[in-house]
Amino acid sequence: MKKSYALVKVDCSNKERFLKSCQKNKLDIYDTKSKDREWIIKINEEDLPKLKRIWYVEYEVVGYTGFHQVKKQLKKNRVFLICAFIGILFLFFLSHLVLSVEVIHSSSDIRNLVLNALEEKGIKKYSFQKSYQELEQIKKEILDAYENRLEWMEIENSGMKVKVRVEERKLQEETKKKESCHLIAKKDGMIKSISYTAGEALVKRNDYVKKGDILVSGIIHKEDEEKGVVCAKGEVLAEVWYQASLTLPMTYKEKIRTGKKRWNMKIKNNAINDFLFKSRIENFEEESKPLLKILNTQILFVTQYEIEEEEKKYTEEEAMEKVLQMIDEKFATILNEKEEILSKKVLKKEENNGIMNVEVFVSVKEEISMTQEFQRIKGDENGDAF
Amino acid sequence: MHLYKTIKTFLFDKEYFVNVFDSHIHLYGFLQVLSLQEEEASLRFPEFLLQIKGQDFRVLKLTKNELLIQGKISEMKFL
Repeated sequence: MKKSYALVKVDCSNKERFLKSCQKNKLDIYDTKSKDREWIIKINEEDLPKLKRIWYVEYEVVGYTGFHQVKKQLKKNRVFLICAFIGILFLFFLSHLVLSVEVIHSSSDIRNLVLNALEEKGIKKYSFQKSYQELEQIKKEILDAYENRLEWMEIENSGMKVKVRVEERKLQEETKKKESCHLIAKKDGMIKSISYTAGEALVKRNDYVKKGDILVSGIIHKEDEEKGVVCAKGEVLAEVWYQASLTLPMTYKEKIRTGKKRWNMKIKNNAINDFLFKSRIENFEEESKPLLKILNTQILFVTQYEIEEEEKKYTEEEAMEKVLQMIDEKFATILNEKEEILSKKVLKKEENNGIMNVEVFVSVKEEISMTQEFQRIKGDENGDAF
Repeated sequence: MHLYKTIKTFLFDKEYFVNVFDSHIHLYGFLQVLSLQEEEASLRFPEFLLQIKGQDFRVLKLTKNELLIQGKISEMKFL
């Protein structure tokens, strides 16, 4: 099966004579190409000695095809092939190696607990990555072993890092302890909506409440008779008012791209974040794309856009718009999905030495209830004694 | 290899044959090449002598008893 052919350049004037000699010497020819006196013939590599018997032709082996050619090419490129093979092996080795195990949780106790459990199961630094099935099995075993402490866990291979997301199991003890509690107001405000799952509401929509007022009582009454004590649970949204003072410089610098751009490369890891080549632009903005990532080090392709800073001045309308935008941004960080700004009103504005001072009245709908425990004293039906 | 030999025996069960195509001629089982030039070829078969005339003859394969010629064939004579 390992048949290989030789391509031989033959110099002969009488081709007919040569072909007859080939047949006489049992030299099989598989292809021919002629050019004047020269002839390139394809013969079995094993038949090369037979060619010597045809004394009147001069010949030269110009190449090989088949197995011999493959062998020759492999031999010629052996250094490259060996390096490529070692490289692939090395890459395979690196891509299956764990360089760090990261447990994502705020509690250090839980992090240490999970890290120790993972180490026992063979997931540690400088170990090999586990397959998906193995990770699922390990996850199940750890969750079974620490069923009182861990609620949920997810193990994920992320590059050379193992990321573990974990949720702590919170037992209901805390809630059980609070057997009697009210929902009270933590701020002054006007009730906008009230919903509760336990307790008895003492306020209704559009009622004005002050800080400390009981909103939902933990004492349950039926026909003016006390029937029991619970821990009140619910949500009370109320309109709350703020008065905010803001200052805004009337001038600002706007960055304008000049249209000139240069390319650069950047190396980035925990310790370094620097350009590989000298920047040819002084003031620039950059946009980068990741090019290569080796371990924790990233090579980025950076486009630097030259910028010019132009000083501009707000008009009064623009300044007011900017102030209201700043208020929106500030409240967006503290309000949740159900909470919102109801209205904003500028109370006072004055410009002094290029600085605008503004006072704004803001009306916000927000959650104002908080749980407060109480202890019953005989004869105290309202449960005001804590 | 046994299968290969079986197929070969099945295909080449004749003592000799001559296959003529548009621009090729395949000859099997000849005894001797008498002449082989660009415009003429003569071969000895067990029972006759074959003379082929044409243009631009080129040998594509030549073994002990098999010959494949490419070229424009204009005339064949069995003598």
